[in-house]
Amino acid sequence: MTLRSTPTRSRLLAATTAIALAFGATAPASAETLAQLTVGTDVDAGTLDPRLARDTTAFRVADLVYSGLVQLTPDLEPVPELAESWDSPDPQTIIFTLREGLTFSDGAPLTSEDVVFTFETILDPDFNAPQRALYMPIDSIEALDERRVQFNLSMPFAPLLSYLDIGIVPKALVESGHDIALNPVGAGPMRLASWDRGSRIVLEANPNFWGDAPVVERVTMQIIGNNTARAQALEAGDLDLIQSPLAPQDISRLSRDDRFGNAIMSGLGVTYLNFNANDPLLADPAMRRAFAMLVDQETIVNDIYEGVDTIANGVILPSSWAFSDEIAQPTFDIEGAVSAFAELGWTDSTGDGFLDRDGERLSVTLATHSEDPNRVQSVEYLQAIFTMAGIDAQVRLSDWPSFSTGYVQQSEHQIALLGWLNIVDPDRMLFGQLTTDGPLNWGGYSNPEVDAALQEGRASLDQEARAAAYQTAAAIIAEEVPYYIISFQGFQLFYNADLPIEVTASPRGYLRGVVLPD
Amino acid sequence: MRRLPPALRNTSLIVGAVIVLVIVGLAIFAPLAATHDVAAMNMRARFQGPSAEHWLGTDNFGRDLWSRMVWGARVSLGIALISTLGAALIGTVVGLVAGYFGGWVDQILMRITDVFLGFPAIVLALAIVAVLGPGVMNVALALVVVFWTEYARVVRATTLVLREQAYVQAARAMGAGPLRILFREILPNSLGPIIVLASLGLGTAVIAESALAFLGFGLPPPAPTWGWTLSYGTGFMRQAPWLSIVSGAAIMLTVLGFNLLGDGLRDVLDPRQLTRAAGKGKTPGAQTP
Amino acid sequence: MLSYTLRRLLLLIPMGIGIVVVTFGLMLLVPGDPAAVLLGQEASAEAVASLRRSLGLDNPWYVQLWDYFTGLLRGDMGVSIFQNQAVSAIIWSRLGATIELAVAALVVATVIGVALGVLAAMRQGSWIDTGAMLFAQLGVSMPVYWLGLLLMLFFAVQLGWLPSIGRGAPLTEAFADLFRGNVATLQHALTYLLLPALALAANSAAVISRLVRASMLEVLREDFVRTARAKGLRPPRVVWRHALRNALLPVLSVVGVRFGTLLGGAVLTETIFAWPGLGQLTIAAISQRDLPLIQGLVLTFALLFALVNLVVDLLYAVVDPRIRLD
Repeated sequence: MTLRSTPTRSRLLAATTAIALAFGATAPASAETLAQLTVGTDVDAGTLDPRLARDTTAFRVADLVYSGLVQLTPDLEPVPELAESWDSPDPQTIIFTLREGLTFSDGAPLTSEDVVFTFETILDPDFNAPQRALYMPIDSIEALDERRVQFNLSMPFAPLLSYLDIGIVPKALVESGHDIALNPVGAGPMRLASWDRGSRIVLEANPNFWGDAPVVERVTMQIIGNNTARAQALEAGDLDLIQSPLAPQDISRLSRDDRFGNAIMSGLGVTYLNFNANDPLLADPAMRRAFAMLVDQETIVNDIYEGVDTIANGVILPSSWAFSDEIAQPTFDIEGAVSAFAELGWTDSTGDGFLDRDGERLSVTLATHSEDPNRVQSVEYLQAIFTMAGIDAQVRLSDWPSFSTGYVQQSEHQIALLGWLNIVDPDRMLFGQLTTDGPLNWGGYSNPEVDAALQEGRASLDQEARAAAYQTAAAIIAEEVPYYIISFQGFQLFYNADLPIEVTASPRGYLRGVVLPD
Repeated sequence: MRRLPPALRNTSLIVGAVIVLVIVGLAIFAPLAATHDVAAMNMRARFQGPSAEHWLGTDNFGRDLWSRMVWGARVSLGIALISTLGAALIGTVVGLVAGYFGGWVDQILMRITDVFLGFPAIVLALAIVAVLGPGVMNVALALVVVFWTEYARVVRATTLVLREQAYVQAARAMGAGPLRILFREILPNSLGPIIVLASLGLGTAVIAESALAFLGFGLPPPAPTWGWTLSYGTGFMRQAPWLSIVSGAAIMLTVLGFNLLGDGLRDVLDPRQLTRAAGKGKTPGAQTP
Repeated sequence: MLSYTLRRLLLLIPMGIGIVVVTFGLMLLVPGDPAAVLLGQEASAEAVASLRRSLGLDNPWYVQLWDYFTGLLRGDMGVSIFQNQAVSAIIWSRLGATIELAVAALVVATVIGVALGVLAAMRQGSWIDTGAMLFAQLGVSMPVYWLGLLLMLFFAVQLGWLPSIGRGAPLTEAFADLFRGNVATLQHALTYLLLPALALAANSAAVISRLVRASMLEVLREDFVRTARAKGLRPPRVVWRHALRNALLPVLSVVGVRFGTLLGGAVLTETIFAWPGLGQLTIAAISQRDLPLIQGLVLTFALLFALVNLVVDLLYAVVDPRIRLD
């Protein structure tokens, strides 16, 4: 037990007794476990069924409540979790062997049947699993015996292991009609204690966990939508830990505050401009390149994001094995952009300050969603630069559903600023997005060379060959700019420095490094 | 100097009028009053405190905050004016018709009014902006839909009283048509409450616009709206408090001006009838969306 | 009075129908597809289409509307697309928090408003009067979300006196504990309630104080008081009491209207203070295009507003026999 605030402490009393506490208690340095950890999070989980998870909170809770076949280390390396080992007799077959004596938190045994059930339901088109596309190359899954399960692939599929950390759900329980979306039962270190929709999710240690017992007895995920309010709640002592997304100005302040420990690292997301190649104005790569030369990455990253993100050079994350610093996107150069536009026939022939061609003014719409003030500011800044370069730039701002599902996904945009998250493998942000007719290729980009490279990156099982393929694709993408990657997102975690436990952050915001012993 | 006209003895009215005049003046003469280019960014001069160069400091893009506020007055007042005029117009017509004709016309119009009155104001406004997309006219239109009911209810109530008055009865006996009676006899005598409601409603519209901006449904940048500056400003409350203080104060001062003006007008124009009539609806000056 | 009540209750039906139709129409027109939002960015168009089918979103609008109405008649408000729970259950679980916040704000507003109003009226023209009315004007002029963040910054972050976010035990539980002799639960609950209630109350306190002042002054201007004053007599206590009683009547009528306003204001206040009520839920539902939930919430807000106003009107008639209900 520690002195950390529990929800039953009266704050008014606390104000008068704080001094007494400060003098009366020594730091609980020897304490190894924590009774209560309160974590701030930005949204309520939509579901606690790992197969259907789609928001950060659902992923972060599912990571604690469920266990997958593998676990991704903070460096994204797949390591044994429920599967103690795996073996690939040929490139299209993988056999996993489960640990002995696994059980779910309700005590029921976890067998290969549960694994088969989990992936068969994910692949079932009627089940509507949001990440189904990631598992499409799985042809079939068979239980060889209680502890062995075989994945048959329709083609060699290198990224698969990175996607197999998804939680295994209990077949018998789910088939009996138990709704794990509301009452999750998994084989993770914690289990659900209570869920107050929209307010908090309380987890407690799972006594049946197969690994070392967690050092935190209860975790409360407190939902606070407003980033500033969430940071203030940490400072007020009502939260023990907060993590991305956070406002840059709060990050700068909190990282200077020695009441809080922090972990600031590169994340698994990018912020990028999606150029719509279907739009007549942007169909020509030269035109997209000219616009890209107006993106002042330096200012956006260092001023608007206050350096919590880093300047990107292409579509591959710097933490990835496929990264190469030789990839180069167009860099900020207003004059260069203006002369590039001039070469394409766009000049200010009327002297009104705007470029035109054949009597038509060069106008373009920059769009983003209103929930993220940094993206709004980035677009506002880009609009000003575009105007300086003689482009009649409009800003379109709407909430996420209008922007995402009603606009970008309908391919109605011209230049849209948005992000990709959870890029655990380069495949995850490239294959569906930039192959010809890919399901997520909203800008309609098409280049056979890119298609071939992305296909090879996915099929080859040799990491060097994969890296080469992705670098080839990245170089072409940097040249033709269907995407312009503005920044690699950073990940930040702040915690109360008085916490008696070791805090190891993961760039996905997963909390096993906090609740489990090292 | 012993006996000023009543309007000039009313402190609220005078103070309110002065505030409103100053702000309206700044809005009209924004190009002259602004000291800097409203759109000129200078990322090296972000978050500067007030100085001789920048009277109110600079914002998150290093733009001059005074100039942003002055131009912002145009946007905020513009939206307030359009939405209030629209709401007053629609509400007045509905109220006149419902009150004068009574019967099923009244029933139908009042049921429609109930529907809009029952909506939580902010939700209705949000939904409309979401449908129409952001933009000056769209935000204004959303506020019209939210606020017209006040006028309808108040005007209906006064019309019910006025139509029984002798002079209206007389006009009717002399064969005046309903249109003539409504617009020649009844409307002029209901103008008092409408004007009071409208001056209070102007302030409410300014707040409502800023609340929409806070929730992400305001005008898109680079429109220099007060709501956006305040919304951004709350994010920078610790490192650049003047951003939210200045924009918040601009909103407060404007609303204060309109409210004082409305209160003053209420006192000057037949006070009794107005408080009675206005007390029943959602008082616009009192609305927090 | 009974027939009046019945008629008012019957009027709720056309209002309810109107609100459902308008909400439905708006949600039909608003861009953004709940199925696509639900499945997230990585979902394919086929998955979205399949989910739309299973949610019944691909039915023609009149079928959807008809289904909704027939459901309502059976007392079924539908199932939330995102939470996969009955809308009525979700709303019911959140209703208490919002009512608690609104009632607390109303109490705070009435106490502050009446106190300030009476004070101002008694010392008309003095600096107390000016100060109270200035406060009232500022209270009306301040955007509630700004006030909320300022209160949080000052009392929770700088001073650390009160918690910044969240809710303690429900007040009903806290009072139950109080009767068992346990004060701590109530204390704890109140610390959480104070800041959001204060933020939400400011505006109403301002309105009420102005109203109380005005109606008290009206009484004090009545002939017999004026005569007494002209004779150099200070108005006796009974006059003040009479004035106050008169002043409270319009306050009562305003309370009903304010309650509706408070419910609306709760949308912003709850968002800032992470108060787990209907307001926060409404913003979430809109941002997810969770149509059945939005419908249910709007309907709930409207019903609450209408019922509170009915109760207030009835009370008004009871308190003031001069009022005739018809």
